[in-house]
Amino acid sequence: MNSFFRKLLWLTQRRDKEAELREELRFHLEEDAEERQECGQTENEARRATRHEFGNVTLVQEITRAEWGWPRLEQVARDAGYGLRQIRRNPTFSTVAIATLALGIGGITAMFSVVYAVLIRPLPYANADRLVMIWDDMSKNDVTSKHNSTPAEWIEWRRLNSVFTDLATSQQGDATLSGDGEPEQLPTRKVSWTFWNVLGVQPMLGRVFTEDEDNKSMRVAVISYGLWQRRFGGASDIVGRRISLNDEPYEVIGVMPRSFYFMPSRDIDVWMPASWPSWMRRNFTWHDAHIVARLKPGVTVEQARQSMQALSLQVTAKDFRGPHSVFVVPLREEIAGKTKTALILLLCAAAALLLIACVNLANLLLSRGTVRGREVAVRAALGAGRGRLIAQFLTESLVLAGLGVVAGLLLALPAMLFLERLVPEAMGAARLTLDWRVLAFSAAIAVAAALIFGLAPALRGSRVSPQEELRDGGHGTAGARSHWFQHALIIAETALAVVLLTCGGLLLQTFQHLRNNDLGIRRESLLTFETPLFRYKDFDKRVAFLNAEIEKVREIPGVISAGSIDFIPFTNFARATFYRLDGQPESSLAGQVTLIRNVSRDYFATVGARLREGRFFIASDQKSDSPVAIVNEAFANRHFAGGSPLGRKFQFGNGHWYTIVGVVKQIRESGVLEEEKPAVYRVNKQCDQMYDLNAGVVVRTAVEPASIISAVRHAIWSLDKDQPLAHIQTMEEIVDHQLSTPSQSSALLTAFALLALLLASLGIYGVLSYTVTQRTPEIGVRMALGATSNQILFSFGRRGLALTLAGLAIGLVLAAFATHLMSALLYGFQPGYVSTVTGVSLVFLSVATLACFVPARRASRVNPVIALRNE
Amino acid sequence: MTRRDPSSQVDLLQGTLDLLILRTLLAGSTHGHAIAKHIQRTSEEMLQVETGSLYPALHRLEARGWISASWALSDKGKRARFYRLTPQGRKQLVAEQSKWEALSRAIALILNPVDQGESQ
Repeated sequence: MNSFFRKLLWLTQRRDKEAELREELRFHLEEDAEERQECGQTENEARRATRHEFGNVTLVQEITRAEWGWPRLEQVARDAGYGLRQIRRNPTFSTVAIATLALGIGGITAMFSVVYAVLIRPLPYANADRLVMIWDDMSKNDVTSKHNSTPAEWIEWRRLNSVFTDLATSQQGDATLSGDGEPEQLPTRKVSWTFWNVLGVQPMLGRVFTEDEDNKSMRVAVISYGLWQRRFGGASDIVGRRISLNDEPYEVIGVMPRSFYFMPSRDIDVWMPASWPSWMRRNFTWHDAHIVARLKPGVTVEQARQSMQALSLQVTAKDFRGPHSVFVVPLREEIAGKTKTALILLLCAAAALLLIACVNLANLLLSRGTVRGREVAVRAALGAGRGRLIAQFLTESLVLAGLGVVAGLLLALPAMLFLERLVPEAMGAARLTLDWRVLAFSAAIAVAAALIFGLAPALRGSRVSPQEELRDGGHGTAGARSHWFQHALIIAETALAVVLLTCGGLLLQTFQHLRNNDLGIRRESLLTFETPLFRYKDFDKRVAFLNAEIEKVREIPGVISAGSIDFIPFTNFARATFYRLDGQPESSLAGQVTLIRNVSRDYFATVGARLREGRFFIASDQKSDSPVAIVNEAFANRHFAGGSPLGRKFQFGNGHWYTIVGVVKQIRESGVLEEEKPAVYRVNKQCDQMYDLNAGVVVRTAVEPASIISAVRHAIWSLDKDQPLAHIQTMEEIVDHQLSTPSQSSALLTAFALLALLLASLGIYGVLSYTVTQRTPEIGVRMALGATSNQILFSFGRRGLALTLAGLAIGLVLAAFATHLMSALLYGFQPGYVSTVTGVSLVFLSVATLACFVPARRASRVNPVIALRNE
Repeated sequence: MTRRDPSSQVDLLQGTLDLLILRTLLAGSTHGHAIAKHIQRTSEEMLQVETGSLYPALHRLEARGWISASWALSDKGKRARFYRLTPQGRKQLVAEQSKWEALSRAIALILNPVDQGESQ
């Protein structure tokens, strides 16, 4: 039995051990006394001498007893027990304190769980911090500089680079899974055979494909865990099964583990060999591939960037558009994107809220410390040292913080469900969990909080002079000098609250702006979906099917009109091409890119687009050698600023010349939050036949758009029962989804700011009411000497307002810095800083005035007779 | 009983008391008072054991499992708490004693240097 268990056993025998010790010591004393008597002393002398030599029996007992257990721990436990009793005895104080802490700790715990999931948790690849993405830098050619790369570049870079162990490329390739059950549109990726090695991932079942299979265009597929479970019921014989993708047979060769995901979205279901056709392997204009690469050991991102920029210029030297450079971006940065700024801002906001909560609590405890002066004085008089008193105060704070953590975690759990939506689209495992790291974080936060709010009251409270405190009526002037510290705390929390309110106000304005942004279309009552047309190889048949399905949909009751566009607005930033205007030299083709969209005749009327000039497509725009086109405002402004482009012609490559017949108000095709880009619209009957025609359908309804979904399905299946439908959603859903980061970050920040405002005003109120209580006798004297109640009201109100104004001023200065840091979240919008600051100041001043007025009014109503009688 | 002038007594070094207690118990089990007396007498009254150190030390050694305690009758027929060396304590005593001897030898070497061939 070792010492730990022996002590544990003794712990259960405390009473017996006490008795034994008493007997043991008594025996010692008797033995000693007897000895002395034998030496000739009288019984009394002997007993006295023995006692004298032995010293303080109780003290000997106490220090011996200390050997039985863990004295320090026992002391902490005693203090904690005492703290709990204090909490029970002051339910109001305790509830306020624990609720305040719970808000602070719950907020920061929930925020940290997101920060951990997005910015800290290792990505599911081997040594994920060695992975980078490479993008083409097309700033010379286009408004968006960061472009997809080309398979040809991938091949050259693989051959020539010196900084990567390997590079992999992938390309979007949605596919329809059919065969058993309803046809289902799956998000898929075509990936090069190097993909698996670069990421360092293994399938959980089966294998991944080889270089040989990639080169020979073998029809093999690696599927996701989700698809395996959802569609195949987790069948154990899935490897080796044949499935039908876009009506072509593929063999399933592997299943990826549940945790696996990769850019650009978490829900890719099938990976198949890229098998780049030979024309694509030489073509440096086909910007349609993502490239990910693994850094060689010892190579930094910066070294890779420099090396790759030089290499890219060399590789594209002979490109007709001139050489271009590249961007090399660490994978984590790529995945987290703008969310990173939002998360850091929100984490700071949560930290500020926690600080405010701590400051409030420190103030409460400081005020209570004065009340407890007598109790502390008694302890000090009985021999408790300063260190012992500080330890006791801090233990009590820790007990409070402990309860605060428990309550905070209860608050954090539901908050985390909401916060899951902040995890970027490109990240898997969206579930936020309270794993041990998050719990350890909140425990550390609680200890830090206890120290922050407990230290000052502990230092102050332990500094007592027993004589003064215990002499009756020894209170009065002592408090006045000590108020500066509480006042500083008030200023600090006010300043923090002002910073939060200002940032919240700016974000809210930005969100309002984004929300009310002119989208160029009417987003209400608009249903959208896609009908993949892989079943129709011939271009004319595709157009025919499209027009037929639009006719069918239009017949559904509640539908006003329907139209098609190859990519639903706001959902696709690809599909851009080079062009030149009439009168421009052929070389200008190199520098000009425009988005290109193919629409049905009724498309613009259906989405509610507006014309700046000219006309929309009409029935007479049929297949022709002199086709027409509609351009958007960004296109018109690029070439014809101040003038009209109507009647001018342009050409893609060396195809037909399109005549511009209309200018449409800007629709941000690439996304609600993206910049405005030039775009060209053609009616689908007049398209060049080389394009795959995607089929996005938009339906304007007189009824709730979601209510016609099943009618739409049946209308299309009545044309072709195997035709899949994909991405059925309303335009409102698309827009809301894209605004979710700004909407959620502004909502959260505003919530934090309002809580901060509430806590700060409670803080002001608390300190002032405490001052009033403490100074009631003084007020009594002043009133007895002739001060009017208005003078008293003014003198107390002024103090509170002075503190508020000081905090407001400091807060506004800090807010200016904070605003600078969050500029990425303003999406280029310039919110009215002055109006926000004015608004925040007004709100703050009115709330603070109320918080000052209530205690000041109480002061002014003091009855001097009662006040002085109590003295 | 003769008592020495306190100024001629020596304070016990930290940790030495444990060693002395263990050594005393090597002769057989006995109670706290007898242990104190034994140390005092054997050291020719040089070492005075304070009860305030003795009993915490006894209980500490017991907690560590180096000695064990049981109630028995003293020479004069009174109930007393007798301490006995455990096998573990015996091992500890050997270790402590050799440590102590090494230390005192080292100190002696410094205090009484013996010039050996180092002529100056």
